[in-house]
Amino acid sequence: MSTSATTFVPAPAPASDPLKEEGHHPKQGFFFTYIWSLDHKMIGLQYLWTSFFFLLIGGLLAMGIRFQLAYPGMEVPLIGALLPSSVAIDGIILPGGYNMLFTMHATVMVFLVVMPLLIGGFGNYLIPLKIGAGDMAFPTLNAMSYWLYVVSGLVILSSFFVDGGAASSGWTAYAPLSSTAAYNNNTQIGQSLWCIGLFINGLSSIAGATNYVTTIVNMRAPGMTMFRLPLSVWSLFITAWLLIFAVPVLSAAAAMLFTDLNFGTTFFAAQGGQPLLWQHLFWFFGHPEVYIMILPAMGLVSEILPVFARKPIFGYKAMVWAMVAIGFLGFVVWGHHMFVSGMNLTLGAAFSVSTMIIAVPSAIKTFNWMGTVWRGSITFTTPMLFALAFVSMFVIGGLSGIFMASTPVDLFVHNTYFIVAHIHYVLFGGSLFGAFAAIYFWYPKMFGRMMNETLGKAHFFATFLFFNLTFFPMHNLGLGGMMRRIADPTVYEHLRALQPINVFVTWAAFGMGLATFIFLWNFIWSLRHGKPAGRNPWNSTTLEWTVPSPPGHGNFETTPVVYHGPYEYSVPGMKKDFLPQNEKAPEGALLEVH
Amino acid sequence: MMKITLPKFLFFFVLVFLAVLPEVPAEVRDTNLYWAPEVATAGGKKIDSLLNFIFYLTAAVFVLTQAVYIYYLVKYRKRPGVKAHYSHGNNKLEIIWTAIPTAIFLGLVIFSNRLWGELHSEPPADAMKIDVVSYQFGWDLRYSGADEQLGKVDVSTYSMDNKFGLVEGDQAGLDDFSSTELVIPVNRPVHLYLHSRDVIHSFYVPEFRLYQAAVPGRTIAWVWFEPIRTGNFELACSQICGAGHYNMKAPIRVVSLEEFEKWKAGKIAAKAEELQALNASLPPAKDPVASTPRNLLQNNL
Repeated sequence: MSTSATTFVPAPAPASDPLKEEGHHPKQGFFFTYIWSLDHKMIGLQYLWTSFFFLLIGGLLAMGIRFQLAYPGMEVPLIGALLPSSVAIDGIILPGGYNMLFTMHATVMVFLVVMPLLIGGFGNYLIPLKIGAGDMAFPTLNAMSYWLYVVSGLVILSSFFVDGGAASSGWTAYAPLSSTAAYNNNTQIGQSLWCIGLFINGLSSIAGATNYVTTIVNMRAPGMTMFRLPLSVWSLFITAWLLIFAVPVLSAAAAMLFTDLNFGTTFFAAQGGQPLLWQHLFWFFGHPEVYIMILPAMGLVSEILPVFARKPIFGYKAMVWAMVAIGFLGFVVWGHHMFVSGMNLTLGAAFSVSTMIIAVPSAIKTFNWMGTVWRGSITFTTPMLFALAFVSMFVIGGLSGIFMASTPVDLFVHNTYFIVAHIHYVLFGGSLFGAFAAIYFWYPKMFGRMMNETLGKAHFFATFLFFNLTFFPMHNLGLGGMMRRIADPTVYEHLRALQPINVFVTWAAFGMGLATFIFLWNFIWSLRHGKPAGRNPWNSTTLEWTVPSPPGHGNFETTPVVYHGPYEYSVPGMKKDFLPQNEKAPEGALLEVH
Repeated sequence: MMKITLPKFLFFFVLVFLAVLPEVPAEVRDTNLYWAPEVATAGGKKIDSLLNFIFYLTAAVFVLTQAVYIYYLVKYRKRPGVKAHYSHGNNKLEIIWTAIPTAIFLGLVIFSNRLWGELHSEPPADAMKIDVVSYQFGWDLRYSGADEQLGKVDVSTYSMDNKFGLVEGDQAGLDDFSSTELVIPVNRPVHLYLHSRDVIHSFYVPEFRLYQAAVPGRTIAWVWFEPIRTGNFELACSQICGAGHYNMKAPIRVVSLEEFEKWKAGKIAAKAEELQALNASLPPAKDPVASTPRNLLQNNL
């Protein structure tokens, strides 16, 4: 990219090719429109569709996990016979196969669902539209990033069918279990494919992140200052920086793990290496990764709450600085995953301090979201319901994190189901609820039609209910002493009494899985049968709502000029209750300068 | 006709093995299933106070914030003729809701780390030292014999013949006896030396409120605790360590001092017989060796 400085696409679409309503762009044929598309919107949608596919796979793996925990040793109904022999024999899940299930569930959900959905999907789709640009800075790199993601997904999934089966050392792949095939049922090929898959996935993330940063820094429309950026763009900007600094560390670690596995190096071996080195490298990536997955959701939710409360976001700058603080602090808290790993005890105490401090910006964000709905005029649409629930679920996930941040309490709850509950409140109740909110909200922009509200609300209430029934009792299981990653809790006397809770959780999880089909049905049905949306169905203020739905190639008819911040709702002295960013304030409008 | 493959055979072997394994019944939980099991160590009691404090604190925060939130959602729902209030925020509020959580979190971390330091303080001199060696998929425990001295360990010498990695020629280790159940007297501090012969395992006993990873190639020497009630428990590995991880457990019995002495005497006698049979009885060592370095700052990454 030595010539990159000259390849920046100027924001406006060329004047010689004026784009008309509903986007007349030159016909490019099927291949260049849907497969190797350079249009950021198509790439965003590719990410979206692909992550839905992986969401189904990851969800199915979760159902397998839950079935085994409720009914250990019983034959998996319906699909039992189809399971690969490394996972199950005669439909009965093997202990080693169970380890594959949770390893791959987490790997798929983190790297192939949440990141691509939030960052790849919404990042690609929304950034240029929201900053008033015609496309991303590097469209080809963007397409490459998507295809690398697809390849990484296929590599990771293929490992189920290789000799020995898929990786089974947990998504955290602690060495030397992961780095020495003999210790782990000879899953050498599976674990190696896991390393290769993550490496390729990392390339995809780094390429995408570079693109986002360049685009946001260089291609904002006139008047779009940094502090007039919508919070979703801010969140993706900070996320991109986190990716750029964190992902290369994981890639390096995965490469080292690969050579340990295949070429006899001993980076992570007990003799001649250091098992804890893997954990330090992994969590140096892994903790920023947590914020990589939640920040975009926070940004998207911050975008949705003002629209349906008809109020400016409360404390815009505080929101931005809170995210910046999370970005920095996110790099100095990784050791809180390792309090009881054998890491130096004083170091653990220090990480406990930084961990408590990083909770502060999250608290600030929560209070500002509450401030946003305060004295609003709230309509409860499906995207709003998901966004509102996001805030509550994030509060639960954040508060349960305080237990583990306290070093002595971590001595008790570490690696129990308490942690499993915590991560799912943050990653499902947080990231995925945020993603659902965003899908319902931007669907009309993406496809020109509204999603069905009745089905949407059914999806919301079912998901909200079953989500809590699934994950809340896991706190109790964890306090009861149930370890995570055990194939059969009933072998322990003290866990046998808790088995009814496990059965309950499993059925709730099945309910949650089924609720997802309401969503998928709605998504597909509305493509053809949804109400036509028009440009701005939600009466929103940001730039993407000023163009046709779906926007044409090049996005904007003329370069938009931005006059004020992104959340001017219910401005006193105005007739309509929203003021788009590219409209000058009318005479008499009392805009607050902040 | 079903074909019997090796994995199938192994699987059913494990099933049969499990079925005939003699079980020392551990404590059965029948009350208070939604909270932690009854605590069994002195340190665990302190952890419980902190845990309860954090629970009440977070529960209060949760109830308060959610009550306000839901109240807002109901009160400020869209009503005809009512326009939303136009406000971009309030810096005074931002400062308040930054300062208060910061103060709470800092207070919490000070309390936490004080207890953390206390739990990991130097073990008392009379603590009983036990070597805990984890492996795929079980536990080997080593107690000192009549000399009350644990033999020295070299973590690079683990083998099938030397499952505790004992240093050759070390007199103190000769009368050490091994066990597959952790038997400890109540009200006496126990100091563990955690080892692993293969991958990372972890020593986890929920009733003890205790988790500590055992890292291969290292000795973790900072774990000690004092059981405060008798009972039967289960030692669990709580760090994924392979296919048999889920079943990597060992019985724990916290017994009265008399019962422990009786058990120990029996073990020592058996060991002496064994040594005699090997024709290898040697005088006890004079060197008061701890089997491993105590310095917590060494050998850490």
